[in-house]
Amino acid sequence: MSKENEYREIFLAEAVESHEELNRLITELEKKPDDNKPVDAIFRITHTLKGNASGMGFKTIADFAHVVEDIFSAIREKKLALDEQIFSSLFKSIDVLGDLIHSVKTGAKVQYRGIKTKLEVILKSLKEGEQSAPEDNEEANSNTDPSTKDHSITTVSNQNRIAPSDHAANTVQKESMSEPEPEENAKIIFSDHVQVPVRKLDNLLNLVGELVIERDRIIGLNAENMGGNEYSRLNRISSDLQYSVMDVRLVQVSFLFNKFHRIVRDTANQENKSVSLTLKGTETEIDRNILQIISDSLIHLIRNAIGHGIESIVDRKNAGKPAEGHLTLKAISESDAVIIDVSDDGRGVDAQKIREKAIQKGILTEAEAKNFSDDDIVLMIFEPGFSTADNISEISGRGVGMDVVKKALDSIGGTISINTHKGVGTTFSLRIPASMAVKGTLLFELKNITYAIPLSYTEAVLSIHKKDIYKVSNGLVTSHLGKTIPLVFLKDIFELSYANLVNESKILHKTYDRTSAEKALNIVIVSYNSRVMGIAVDKLLQQKEIVEKPLSKPFDNSKMINGVTILGNGHVCPVLNVATLFNLIFIRNYTNKKN
Amino acid sequence: MQDKKESKLKQEMEHTGESLQLIVFKLGEEDYGIHISQIKEVVLTPNITKMPQTPPYVKGVANIRGNIIGIMDLEEKFGIRPGITTDEVNQRSNYTLVIESDTFKMGALVTEVPNTLTIDASAIEEEVDLVHDKNVDTGYIKGIVKLEGQLVILIDIFRVLTEDEAEKIELAQNETS
Repeated sequence: MSKENEYREIFLAEAVESHEELNRLITELEKKPDDNKPVDAIFRITHTLKGNASGMGFKTIADFAHVVEDIFSAIREKKLALDEQIFSSLFKSIDVLGDLIHSVKTGAKVQYRGIKTKLEVILKSLKEGEQSAPEDNEEANSNTDPSTKDHSITTVSNQNRIAPSDHAANTVQKESMSEPEPEENAKIIFSDHVQVPVRKLDNLLNLVGELVIERDRIIGLNAENMGGNEYSRLNRISSDLQYSVMDVRLVQVSFLFNKFHRIVRDTANQENKSVSLTLKGTETEIDRNILQIISDSLIHLIRNAIGHGIESIVDRKNAGKPAEGHLTLKAISESDAVIIDVSDDGRGVDAQKIREKAIQKGILTEAEAKNFSDDDIVLMIFEPGFSTADNISEISGRGVGMDVVKKALDSIGGTISINTHKGVGTTFSLRIPASMAVKGTLLFELKNITYAIPLSYTEAVLSIHKKDIYKVSNGLVTSHLGKTIPLVFLKDIFELSYANLVNESKILHKTYDRTSAEKALNIVIVSYNSRVMGIAVDKLLQQKEIVEKPLSKPFDNSKMINGVTILGNGHVCPVLNVATLFNLIFIRNYTNKKN
Repeated sequence: MQDKKESKLKQEMEHTGESLQLIVFKLGEEDYGIHISQIKEVVLTPNITKMPQTPPYVKGVANIRGNIIGIMDLEEKFGIRPGITTDEVNQRSNYTLVIESDTFKMGALVTEVPNTLTIDASAIEEEVDLVHDKNVDTGYIKGIVKLEGQLVILIDIFRVLTEDEAEKIELAQNETS
């Protein structure tokens, strides 16, 4: 379905709902004409409807809603007294409004000008009444109203007589056709949208996931007996089903982004800064649950950008920047991922400051800190307990945060990168999967167990020999595309006793030492947050789309494994958690260097 | 929370009045019993996939009717015999007790088909003085059921599992510190 059609559906769903609400409210109002609440509500709803309709380009609805809105505005200001005749006009007008909304879908012609003109006449006479007899408004109204009403409802020609100015002959013609159809208005209109709790969608997605796994299992079992085409229909239908369910769960990022205006305003106020927010690509679609998971991270990044990034008004003026800081939230869809950029035009991340902090906190030695490039240094802000804010404010600087952002992203297989220029600004770029369900993975074997590694992390696969690997201190390195990268034998990591993770020296050399020189080693090159490393595995198998299931207790805090999937043969296949692996290796590097 | 569970179990026992049903299985030479409400089903042990960095008595995970369930070796956990590898488990044809509560789903390996046993609630001796090994928490032992020619050790399987959890949490804390 095209975007436009989808918007139209959303508009329709809302409009139908609004119309129902209007019907309810006006009935309520009729019972208690003195109550102001329904009038206010109707005024508000028609106003919204007018806005939405004109946004969608439905001019007739917008114009009509506008007139109704004006009427209720008059009622609200007590300029127009409610009596039976007014009510019948109002009911009629709301029915017509409903028809108009309905006609967006059906394309049916709705005769609306008569009632519209009538309302306009009421309004007009109100104004005239006000001008001519300002001392007696009520009377003026009641004088004009019955006349308009009576005539317009009963006869068409009278209608024409009363409102000759704005709508000329064609109005009359159409009017004459429309009026004698009261029956049709009695129809109850059902919305085309159904609201479903997310829980039910989750359940549906799980079931579809299991179906796909079961399909793969059956196909795997019978692969030898049957031709390849035997299952193609099953394959296609179940895949379509899967993507349809995934599609249902997609929501626009605007759903979340629009909430940030307020957060930016409040945060900026707290910090005595002036910040404007621009949203881009708000129609980008993403799985609702993923959006929920990253919402806190985005809030954090935004608060951080305002707290740390954007300078105070004085500083900005001194730097020759406009006093108002600028924050941009941008979402782009890229194959099966969504990239969300949070950019500010603030002071940028000060690599030097981070360098000092890292040394001060003992994470790096001075020599190392010098060797790290600025880009690498900036990544340190994602380490737990790292904060460069000089003063701790409510908003930022408690040393919690950036590592939490990273963790949230890790949990859904997303990555974050920073692009910062001192004095110009910072962009945090989040790359997150658009959907949770299906993941492209690379299957590999280690000690006769099949593991999966998400393709979002893999860069390349290599086949090298022992001579290409060098021992450096307690670790191993090899070269890839001219760069020296760390290398681990996954076997060594998995064999670490589960209590003691990293501190045994030489543990990462174990398999290397045992490997013979002739043996070709299969290496998967993985990258994570702009760091690259190689993982040596026993055997590379194939690429496969999998449905990942989360681990239940007591494995849910298992670090090396993110989740599992079920293979065609019914065996369980663990999905490697690349983020943890990187943390393990790189933190190990830090701690080793510390000692 | 643990106390609650315990008392709930007790209550269950008391409420059912005179008789209650146990699932009885052999660990080593002894008979162990679990209240029937804690067991969901007994299945042939499916292929188990070892998970890295888990306690040795956790043999890995298996696919039981589309659910991914952790499998543990109680004989190893209770120190009845030395541990065996996951590969060895996969080669034997064992049975797995699927244990389920609102929060837990686990499998426990048993070598023989378990029996059901209906006993008189009064046959449970709850206050048992066991020879305690200081280092082993035997809190999961709820009592001893004495029958003619048979002695069944009644265990609260959730207690065994929560201990496991507690251990993990402790471990995680050690790691981060």
